[in-house]
Amino acid sequence: MGVISRGIHNAFRNWVRTFAIVVILGMSIGLTVAMLSARQAVNQRITDVKSSIGNFITVTPAGSRGFEGGGEPLTNDQVGQVKSLAHITSVASTLGDRLDSSSTNLQSSIDAGSLGSRQGNFNARQFSSNRPDGATNTTFTPPIQVTGTDSPTTLQASGGGTINLTDGTKFEGSSNDNIALLGKNLADKNNLTIGSTFQAYGTDIKVLGIFDSGNAFANNLVVMPLASVQRLSDQSGDVTNLVVQTDSIDNLDSTIAAVKSTLGDAADVVSQQDTSSQALAPLENIERVTLLSLFGSLSAGGAIILLTMLMIVRERRREIGVLKAIGATDLKILLQFVSESVTLTGLGLIVGLVIGVLGSNPITKLLVSNSSDTTSTAMGQGGARIAQFFGQSSQGLQNLQASVHWQNILFGIVAALAIAVIGSALPAVLISRIRPAEVMRSE
Amino acid sequence: MIKLTNVSKEFLSGDTKVKAVNAISLTIEDGTFASIIGKSGSGKSTLLALMGALDRPDSGNIEVGGQDVAKMTNRQQVAYRAKKIGFIFQHYNLIPNLTALQNVMLALEFGGARKSDQKIRAEQLLDQVGLKADKQSRRPGRLSGGEQQRVAIARALANRPNLILADEPTGNLDSQTGRMIFDLLHSLSKTEKTTVIAVTHDLSIAGKTDQTFRLTDGKLTKTA
Repeated sequence: MGVISRGIHNAFRNWVRTFAIVVILGMSIGLTVAMLSARQAVNQRITDVKSSIGNFITVTPAGSRGFEGGGEPLTNDQVGQVKSLAHITSVASTLGDRLDSSSTNLQSSIDAGSLGSRQGNFNARQFSSNRPDGATNTTFTPPIQVTGTDSPTTLQASGGGTINLTDGTKFEGSSNDNIALLGKNLADKNNLTIGSTFQAYGTDIKVLGIFDSGNAFANNLVVMPLASVQRLSDQSGDVTNLVVQTDSIDNLDSTIAAVKSTLGDAADVVSQQDTSSQALAPLENIERVTLLSLFGSLSAGGAIILLTMLMIVRERRREIGVLKAIGATDLKILLQFVSESVTLTGLGLIVGLVIGVLGSNPITKLLVSNSSDTTSTAMGQGGARIAQFFGQSSQGLQNLQASVHWQNILFGIVAALAIAVIGSALPAVLISRIRPAEVMRSE
Repeated sequence: MIKLTNVSKEFLSGDTKVKAVNAISLTIEDGTFASIIGKSGSGKSTLLALMGALDRPDSGNIEVGGQDVAKMTNRQQVAYRAKKIGFIFQHYNLIPNLTALQNVMLALEFGGARKSDQKIRAEQLLDQVGLKADKQSRRPGRLSGGEQQRVAIARALANRPNLILADEPTGNLDSQTGRMIFDLLHSLSKTEKTTVIAVTHDLSIAGKTDQTFRLTDGKLTKTA
């Protein structure tokens, strides 16, 4: 029986103790693996969030906000300059326009009401000098807003909501055809269905799709290809809104600075960084908890094996003396104890991996659940908004899935070996200090 | 030949220094069966530990086969203990989770014996000391005191040492078994031509050895 096999053999001298140590060590290693998996899942989610939420920059002509304010539209050249900047993954350009009774046969699905009348009167007073009769009272009909976009798949409806197609298909972003998507209410008001046409800009426009954005204002919209609106409205090369996406929220500030530097005073540049930072807070809390737990469980594992080996060395003091008396070197005795320590941690590793594989997901969900509760309580309305934010993006915290990858198993093995060696280090010092003569004194 | 010259060893007992071995000089020829007698605490075991390189003297020389044990490096002492010395203890000190055979093979492993030879040699030795084959695969806990001491003797003989140091080898055995073990040691010292030095309280046993030394308070008071 060699020194290694003797060490392995010794690990089973006391079955009850070995069982207890292996179970406790297994729990420690299992928790380590679970925390590592949870941390990886959370890190991946943070990366996903950083690259998909809150990393948008809205660029509008300086002084303009939809049809409020004024200023000059952005140009295709300026859009090209923005697209060439670093860390930008996509740029969606839109051109907003309005249709009234002189430019379309469409009837608005929105009744003017008192708010519309107020707007109409204001417009009449503001622009009365342009009217030949100088009248300031007029019957106001809400205009139909047209949005020209080169990114119909990511477009957010003006007035809120997303373009959820209920019928038909979306158009290609590069299209220059006379086609349109109509809000549900607008289509119903004008009895339009897929394939039917309406008049706008003096030409027939074909209905390609009908969408429901969940609100009356957005459901009164016409969405067309950007190039088509630019061409039909004689606003060639004009853009009234850019939505710029960066590769990560970490690069948002530098990209905002770059866009501002590129466009100068010609544009207003805004982002929703604060919102995204709030959205990341619960994830970053979980990441911190998993990191601390990871170190905690690793340290606990180290402490368990260290104390176990110390106990074993003290218990076998006389035996070590006997081994030295009959000619064993310190190295051989040390190897025997390291081998015993590695055997115990190896068994703990097997138990730990089973616990880690089975426990990673439940532990991650427990952490997420606690963190979400805490965050919601602590952040009040903000927390609810974040939950809504995550829920809407289908990347909710509750959907976080942790799984044990082979890298985690490798880490577990390396950690277990490290624990075994560290756990044997102090006992090794004790072994070297035991003098063979002690075997005589204990007689 | 074993030659001790003015060997002394002190220990601290609380704040007091106790001279366990006090300027002892003695000579034992090769192949001798010698005994050391004395009261408890007279320094017998300490003297044995010094001769077996389990401890170092504070002063004096311990020559075994022409080598000064006290001046050896730690590594040399380990090799000396493994190959030149065989120890037999009062409480046998066998490794409890190894079988009788494995306990003997352990000494052979430390002595550098080839793996293939270890089992054969260990079985021979256990046969030689009278441990039947069916008991050779038993662990110490399933052997009687006399049988355990036989295993300990086989382990001590494993590497054909020049010197066997036995600390109260019969002290934990009944008188009949004690006599059997003593007779075994005596015959082995003659057949194997090995020097045996045994510490004992039993004067009847001491009387049968070739040479007897009496220790009183760390000093050699009588040689017979």
